[in-house]
Amino acid sequence: MKHLYSTLIITVFFFASCSQSKKAENSGDKKIKVGVTFLSMQNEFIVNISDEMSKKAEELGVELISVDAEHQPLKQIEQVESFIAQKVDAIIMNPCEVEASSPAVTKALAAKIPIINVNSATTTQPTAFVGSNDAESARIAMKFIADKLGGKGNVVMIHGFMGQAAQIQREQGAKEILKQYPDLKLIAHQTGEWDRAKSMDLMQNWIQSYGTKINAVFAQNDEMGLGALKALQDAGLKDKVIVVSIDAITDALQAVKKGSLDATVFQNAKQQGAGAIETAVKIVKGQPYEKELMIPFQLVTKENIGQFIK
Amino acid sequence: MSSNPQNILQVQNLSKAFLGVKALDNIQFDLQKGEVHALMGENGAGKSTFMKILMGLLKPDSGEIIFEGEVLKSNNVHENLQKGISMIHQEILVVPELTVAQNIFLGRETNYRSWLNDKAINQKAQEILDLIGVKINARTKIKNLSIAEMQMVEIAKAISNNAKVIIMDEPTSALTDNEVAMLFKIIKDLKAKGVAIIYISHKMDEIYEITDRITVLRDGQYIATKNTNELDKNALIALMVGRQINDLFLENNSIKGESILSVQNLNKKGKFKDINFEVHAGEVLGIAGLMGAGRTEIARAIFGLDKYDTGEIIIKGNKVEIKSPEDAIKNGIGYVSEDRKALGFIPALSIKENISLSSLGNFVKTWFVNVSNEHEAATRLATDLKIKSTSINQKVMTLSGGNQQKVVIGKVLLTSPSLVILDEPTRGIDIGAKFEIYKLINQLTDKGIAVILISSELPEILGMSDRIMVLSKGKQTALLLKQEATQETIMQYAVH
Amino acid sequence: MYLINRLRKYGIFVVFIIISLILSFISPQFLTVSNWTIIITQASINALLAFGVTFVIITGGIDLSLGSMVAVTGVTAAMLAHPDTFPVALPIFAGLLTGLLMGIFNGFIITKSKIAPFIVTLGTMTIGRGLALILSKGRPVSNLSDSFNFIGGGDVFGIPFPIIVLIIVFIICSLILKKTLLGRYIYAIGGNEQASRASGINVNQVKMAVYSISGLLAGLAGVLLTSRITTGQPNAGAGFELDAIAAAVIGGTSTSGGTGTMTGTLVGVLLIGVINNGLDLLNVTSYYQQVVMGIIIIGAVVLDSWNQKSNS
Repeated sequence: MKHLYSTLIITVFFFASCSQSKKAENSGDKKIKVGVTFLSMQNEFIVNISDEMSKKAEELGVELISVDAEHQPLKQIEQVESFIAQKVDAIIMNPCEVEASSPAVTKALAAKIPIINVNSATTTQPTAFVGSNDAESARIAMKFIADKLGGKGNVVMIHGFMGQAAQIQREQGAKEILKQYPDLKLIAHQTGEWDRAKSMDLMQNWIQSYGTKINAVFAQNDEMGLGALKALQDAGLKDKVIVVSIDAITDALQAVKKGSLDATVFQNAKQQGAGAIETAVKIVKGQPYEKELMIPFQLVTKENIGQFIK
Repeated sequence: MSSNPQNILQVQNLSKAFLGVKALDNIQFDLQKGEVHALMGENGAGKSTFMKILMGLLKPDSGEIIFEGEVLKSNNVHENLQKGISMIHQEILVVPELTVAQNIFLGRETNYRSWLNDKAINQKAQEILDLIGVKINARTKIKNLSIAEMQMVEIAKAISNNAKVIIMDEPTSALTDNEVAMLFKIIKDLKAKGVAIIYISHKMDEIYEITDRITVLRDGQYIATKNTNELDKNALIALMVGRQINDLFLENNSIKGESILSVQNLNKKGKFKDINFEVHAGEVLGIAGLMGAGRTEIARAIFGLDKYDTGEIIIKGNKVEIKSPEDAIKNGIGYVSEDRKALGFIPALSIKENISLSSLGNFVKTWFVNVSNEHEAATRLATDLKIKSTSINQKVMTLSGGNQQKVVIGKVLLTSPSLVILDEPTRGIDIGAKFEIYKLINQLTDKGIAVILISSELPEILGMSDRIMVLSKGKQTALLLKQEATQETIMQYAVH
Repeated sequence: MYLINRLRKYGIFVVFIIISLILSFISPQFLTVSNWTIIITQASINALLAFGVTFVIITGGIDLSLGSMVAVTGVTAAMLAHPDTFPVALPIFAGLLTGLLMGIFNGFIITKSKIAPFIVTLGTMTIGRGLALILSKGRPVSNLSDSFNFIGGGDVFGIPFPIIVLIIVFIICSLILKKTLLGRYIYAIGGNEQASRASGINVNQVKMAVYSISGLLAGLAGVLLTSRITTGQPNAGAGFELDAIAAAVIGGTSTSGGTGTMTGTLVGVLLIGVINNGLDLLNVTSYYQQVVMGIIIIGAVVLDSWNQKSNS
């Protein structure tokens, strides 16, 4: 393992020097060209990251080629191959899957093009990683619930698409906290497939079977949290149940402001997007950079909502 | 019957019945090596049943087939093929996406190796193609060939099977004159190699050009076998049609009225040419001709099922544009198709729903179909037509062929047509139902409805029609009055 | 024997009753008015789509663009439904109109090009999804007026509005199918398209009509869904077409055309709704839910085909 790590560092230095020499060759006014492939442009959070990247790229004079992998790892690999063929200076990948997107990293590295993973990880180590730890976000959310309930009560959890990296890590983070509070019981958990309507149906059904026994809902993203919230509001139960979710999308922030959603966890799209571009530029220019740039999460509640809404 | 050693195939007393109806009755036939033997007869004479038995597609009820001195017992196509009996079908059966070689050896690829070996079959196929003098590359995909070339491939396939007997069913129906000449050259070569050929065709000139002997079947019975050069055309026709017109047909005494439909210079490329005729109220116009002469095509064009290229359709003195069956029905035309299953009825709907289908609009009040009116009208027709069923709500798919035909006729009659086109109205139905349909035709003409009757059965045409139009290869060859028409004259014009 | 024949004829209905009975024994909450109100409300969107696609399937066609149409119409409606902008009728009308236009587009291409409906609607499915993303710029359209949100969330005399919509649409669709010229022609075309044409039916017109109805109902479903979750989601409705087709098929509509009823489809929709609800009530793990659902769908259809065979 140690060996592997050192090899990687050497490789990274090698790339760094390579691109440096390349830079020296093309010195002058040539724009840095960066290819970006996103998991899915149907996801608001990803769209936010993309917007921040574009802003930062413009600021730094970077030429950005953005493509959407539409949740398909194979497509993502093909996109990376096409970046390689276009001889971009660096690649930023927002991976579809931990395993299946790994070949893209290998290919980029083999072509001596630095590749930066943003938002989520792949098994194969890229040149650099910019993002946050999904498990951490769930720990923050669940900790909030535990504090609010005084460490005692019944919780239900709504999963994302089963088997996806974010779902697995968020479940893992939530369970870590649950373990610390033995009186906090997970009475039911089901998938809401990241979808608002599905989670609303699910919550309605839970209200039927558990009624007022439910003290808190943890939804693995805001869409699902808002769906559950709607069901609770319709049933007149909102004031008795705490709802917390993750991502801090616009709708969720509005709901926190109104006081209907108790909390969401802010994943900093701005810093992730900007950080990825900055890291890419540093690597291309041969400047020192952080191999793992971790952007911290922030809990958003009614108290600090002002920071997040412009 | 003594067995001639020259005979590769000898058929004795072959009989076959379907549901009690004798399709073949005591057939005798013999075929010599290196002979081209024509099999003649009207549609329905039993030729195709006979060929199916030879191929092993059907099992005979009684009788013997002796092939190369041995009784042929199998009723298995594959086995007969291996023994050397091949057939070139009227509709060519090839796989368009495969190559010529792959088609020739289709189903027998493993004769060469346990793995597919395209190289071997390409080579072998090319040898056979060269042998029969066909300039086709074995590696070409079938879809890139002309119909004639596909036929050559079929012949090559038969030869690759070491065929000793090749049955050719209307092989020239889709060929140009040049291609026919090429086919005949190949037939002559095959003959010289000792292959025997059974040749089925309606085209008299071809029969006289290529065949050595002729066997005639009629109504499932063996009539005669003659040497081609000893039998003239008229004698042959007499053998084919020579039966008495029985009194199945009723006297038609209706008064002929105004012109209902007049067709002028109707043309459709490749289908029919310069068709001119008129039908009057109360009159039956028969249309006769061999299969593929363009009878149904003309009917389909008049009814709006197909487009025609040029010409005029005039109904009761007014020129009309008929672009769809909808237009035709609005103009008072009704059509009972030869293909009942495909064009006649909706199997999953009831008798009532089928009968009302073409005139359902008449039963709509404000938004909804007035079910009781619909029921009443359909019941009236079902009773008039003597449709046998448990209830008018019975699904049409559960009825017999004759009753299904009556449902289709009922549907047409409910539209109150002034012209009814009956295309092979009695095909595949029993004699009782046939008689009822003949009665019905007379009832229609009594009411002043004009009828066009298309039929392959000459007695039916002769018995029912006031005038008869004869078609041959898409051309109108005669328009005969009832008095001047006989089976022989019709046949002569039909093979014109 | 009579009883058995009856049972066979109403096979799916019997399956529905049996599953409901089993669930009411296992889960005390199952057989309550409030739970059934929820089941039917949740099923209403699938019901609208399933009714539409039932017409299409009876003609022998298929409509795969339903889910995308839900997204486009939902986003369209949501964009016009912000508070204090337009009267509530406008977003509703715009949603319905968008659905209708997409349906007409489907019908037009299918009848003019003679391309298989499967391919054409597969195309519109992708086009629709793209349009929804373009219109919404990939983000949910929220902040909708209360009057708009009433459609999906409100109730009249205690009956949720979606249920009222469901009942009205069911009655209209049943009448169209059973009593009108169009309904009869739909069966005829599915039973034998060529013979229908030869009987003087304008086949293209009827096909245009069924795809238009399907689009219109998808528009209604889109409006209802948007209102229910109080936001227009560009990725809403993914896979809805499959649920709708499943409901129609479970309810006895043959994918080869010519047979099917609205009542059958309604039972199919409710069966799916009951299973979804029941599995949630019983807290069956997500992984197993999918398996159970699949088994029940196949089982129901197998049973039904067995019934039909022994009927004929």
